[in-house]
Parts: sequence; structure tokens; C-alpha cells
Amino acid sequence: MKFRVDRDVLAEAVAWTARTLPVRPPVPVLAGMLLDVDERLRLSSFDYEVSAQGSVDVDVEEPGSVLVSGRLLAEITRSLDSQPVEISTDGSKVTVACGGAKFTLLTLPAEDYPSLPDMPQLSGAVGSDVFASAVGQVAVAAGRDDTLPVLTGVRVEIEGEKVTLASTDRYRLAVRELTWKPQQPDISAIALVPAKTLADTAKSLTSGAEVAIALSSETGGEGMIGFEGGGRRTTTRLLDGEFPKFRALFPNETNSLAEVQTGPFAEAVKRVALVAERNTPVRLAFSQGELVLEAGTGDEAQAVESMEATLEGDDIKIAFNPQFLLDGLAAIDSDVARLHFTTSTKPAVITGKPGDDGGADYRYLLMPVRLNA
Amino acid sequence: MDYVGRLTAHLPMAPRLVLMKSDGSVSIHADDRAYKPLNWMNPPCTAREEEDVWTVTHDKSGEKLILTIEEILHDSSHELGVDPGLVKDGVEAHLQELLAGHITTLGDGYTLIRREFPTAIGPVDILCRDGAGGTVAVEIKRRGEIDGVEQLTRYLELLNRDPMLRPVRGIFAAQEIKPQAKVLALDRGIGCVTLDYNGLRGIESDVPTLF
Repeated sequence: MKFRVDRDVLAEAVAWTARTLPVRPPVPVLAGMLLDVDERLRLSSFDYEVSAQGSVDVDVEEPGSVLVSGRLLAEITRSLDSQPVEISTDGSKVTVACGGAKFTLLTLPAEDYPSLPDMPQLSGAVGSDVFASAVGQVAVAAGRDDTLPVLTGVRVEIEGEKVTLASTDRYRLAVRELTWKPQQPDISAIALVPAKTLADTAKSLTSGAEVAIALSSETGGEGMIGFEGGGRRTTTRLLDGEFPKFRALFPNETNSLAEVQTGPFAEAVKRVALVAERNTPVRLAFSQGELVLEAGTGDEAQAVESMEATLEGDDIKIAFNPQFLLDGLAAIDSDVARLHFTTSTKPAVITGKPGDDGGADYRYLLMPVRLNA
Repeated sequence: MDYVGRLTAHLPMAPRLVLMKSDGSVSIHADDRAYKPLNWMNPPCTAREEEDVWTVTHDKSGEKLILTIEEILHDSSHELGVDPGLVKDGVEAHLQELLAGHITTLGDGYTLIRREFPTAIGPVDILCRDGAGGTVAVEIKRRGEIDGVEQLTRYLELLNRDPMLRPVRGIFAAQEIKPQAKVLALDRGIGCVTLDYNGLRGIESDVPTLF
């Protein structure tokens, strides 16, 4: 095997593929990255859960394939000079040459490397930027606690042209709707994708214009979802379990609707929350034209800040975990935040103001904390 | 209070709590640092009272604790009797009992065969059947570490020799599973389940949730 490639192209592809290398490989070959050259170079990594395959154009002199330590290759390519890189095999060694630098790496037995799972059948495609932002908006609300594995996933519901993403950690629920281009117009599918993997994947596939999504049919066995875009493809195993019926959690009607400038509101929450001890809330009091934020109680440090806000409906006092509130405000992706309240003990809905950028596609449902907690 | 011995120490006159235990030990406490006395004399020792001065002398080394008492605010003596010993939390046993009672925590359709299922090398915490009727051995730990996985592996090897039971699958259940233990378990085809002790006990957190 022998090929030449631009250093930046190689380093980027290797770094992307290396993300999937297992931290604790149960078998040594899984610490390896498979370099496979025929017309292009294909880089593969796999940890039994997630597989990644990146491909780049190279000048091929001699095709072949070789397995080398993925971490080491990633570190080497990252620190090489910006000059063409030549990679070649020599017996059981691999040589990476770039400018005056030359590395000789040991190979791992490529024949022991597991074959990567096949990409499931193509289901459709979505704009890569839209997908990345939508996943980011939803994944923030996913649970991180292994005691409820179902909640560590993002629920993906596909119904024709409409895709709904949802995740919740029981304290908040984030739901995003988007449209995509399905292969079959009458497609209907459901998947529960590990949130962390999905968020990382969506973020890293923005180099291409579109992301192709492939979902395995639910005919027994283990479910799998695949994503492909910009010469990169990755598959991940799906989670099992019954996702909560999230649509029913949204309130049917609300008593008040407040509108606040998102940026200044988030800043004020951050400031006031400085005095909020662990697990203590930020208290919000909405009245006509004004929002008063408070944190801290009794004999501890306290903070108050007031700002402009519009309110339709009843005055309301409500308290939230400041971090969860900030997560929601950061996710709505709109200059004006709309907060829909029922009562101070019922969940509130945070959305962007519709119109400017279709902010109504996203809803963040947040459970309040007891006011006097 | 003055201490005379290998080193000398002095505690100025102040309100103190002086404890004399039935083993003969004497300790002087302040109103802080929990169980830690300011100074003390270990048994065996002898206390001698002379008007306002108590002298506690260690029987072997001869080191002395000399207490000068100006005023007694409170003086009482209590018989505590035989110490029943510290009862450990027993979380692991409790987890076993709770999980046996809520066996569907492991998955829908799970049914309990029995707790403490006997094998030649010791009892398996829980033996149950999964939704498809397969036998599942469960090892319960508070903290799931490598040795717990090894233990379950030994049980599984033994259980899988029993034609009435096999194939037996393993589940490693713990409140917290170490990453190393998880890798080993998954590599051996053993499932990992993180248990929510408070949830199993029906103790809800006081933070309100959506559902």
C-alpha cells in the first residue's frame, strides 16, 4: 500500500474517524484504525456500538489495507507540517513521511478486525446545518443518568415529510419538528438514538450540504441508524425501551404569555444565579411590563434584577433551576423568548417568537421548582 | 488542663466537656470537631481526685493529665451497658430484596425464580426468567467493579452446565458501574443495569418532575 495525500485533508479525516475509537478496547484490534486504499482512502473505526468511516481522495500508487493504532495516527497527523503526506507499508511496518519527518508504526492484524455493520437502507435526507442545530436543541434535555437508559436517547419520529425529535430528563422536555426529504413519501418510523452520539454525529457532519439518514427496519434484531454526508458515514446502535408519551406533557391551555429579550434575559439569569446555591432556584415574577428576577434567601447572599418584559394574562411568580432555564433560552434560537405559563406549579413552555426564523418548531417544556424551596 | 509526659501541652481555663469512660479513659472536648477530643488519656490509667485538681496517670508510661476544675456546670453519670455494635446499612441485601420485588426493572416480562439461588460455589443473588423465557442470573452490587463481574462469570459458567437451566444469561446490576467493569461485562456478553436505589425504595426526590 502506498499513497500521497494533503496533510490537512488527512488530519481532518483521521481526527473525525478517531472519535469513535473505544477508550477501553476489549480487544486490541479495536484500538486500531483501518486504512483501506483502492481508488480513495477509507478510514474506519468501530467500538461495537458506533462505527465511523471517513473517505478522502488520495493519489494512489499501490492499493492495499492496513490497521494501525488510531490514537497514535491521529496525534501524528495532527502535528505534522502542512506538506504532502506519504503513507506506505513496508513489511509489517507502516511509514508516514511528511517533509523531513518520518514515522514508522507497527501494524495490527487487519484480518482480525471486525467488519463494520452495513449501512441500513436509505430512508431520506435532511440539510446538514438544520439537522445539526435541531439535534443540538433537543439533545440538551436528554438524561445523563444510566438508571433510566431510555431517557439518555433522542426519540426520532418520522411521519412522511415530518421528523420530530424529542428528549427529556424528566425535569425538562425538548421537542423539535423539522421537514426532510424521505425516500418514500409514506414513510413512518420511530427510533431511539443515544443522545450523545447523535449530537456528536450531527455536529460533525456539517461539511456536506445534506445528511442522508438510514434506518434499519424494525424486523427483530438490533436496531441501527446510519448517517452519511460529506464523505463520512457513521452507524450507531439504537436504544431499547418505551419512551414516555411526551406530547401529552404539554399543557392544553395557558393563562399567561410573557415575552422577553432572550439575550438580556439569559444574562440576567446568569448574574442572579451567582448567589443561587446548588439546587436552589431563580425566582421570576412577571407583571405588566416588568420581570423581576431573584435568587438567594434568608441569611444567604441575595440578588435582584428587574428588566422589561411584556405579559398577556395573569401575573405570575414561578421558580426554575437556573441551568435548565438557561439551557432552554440558549436552545430556542430566537431574539425574543416566549414563556407560556399555566400556574406556578405547572410546567412552563419556552419557545422562540414565531416569524423571525420559524421559532415555533421548537418547544422546551420546563418543570418549575417550588417557590419557597 | 496540663499534660505532662513525652510532650507537654496546656489548655487554658475554659468551659470544657470532660468524659470519663468505664474503661478508665478520660477525654476533654470542646464544642466542635465531633468525636475528636482536645486532649485525652488512653486506658489503662488511674484518675485521682484532690479537691479541685484531678490527676489522671497512665499506668505504664506514667504520663499525666492534670485537670484543674474551677466550676462544675453539670455533672452526671450514665450506665450505657453492652454496645450492640454498629449495624451496617445493608444496602446490597436491601437492593436484592427490592429488585426481587420489582423484577420488571430489568425488562418487561421478567419473572423471579428465586433469590439466593444455590450453586456449589455459593448463592446467586437473583435467578429469574426474561420475557422470552430464558434464564437470567443477576449479581447485585452497590458499586459494580471488576471482581463482581468475575464472580458473576463463575456463577454463569457453573449454571450453564445445568441442562435444566441453560442457556443462562448474566446481568450485572449495581447502583454505580465502573467503566472497566462495564467493558469486561459487555465483552463477556453480560448485561449491565444501573439501579436507582431511591427509586426502587419508592423515595421520590423533592425536585418536581414532568412525569
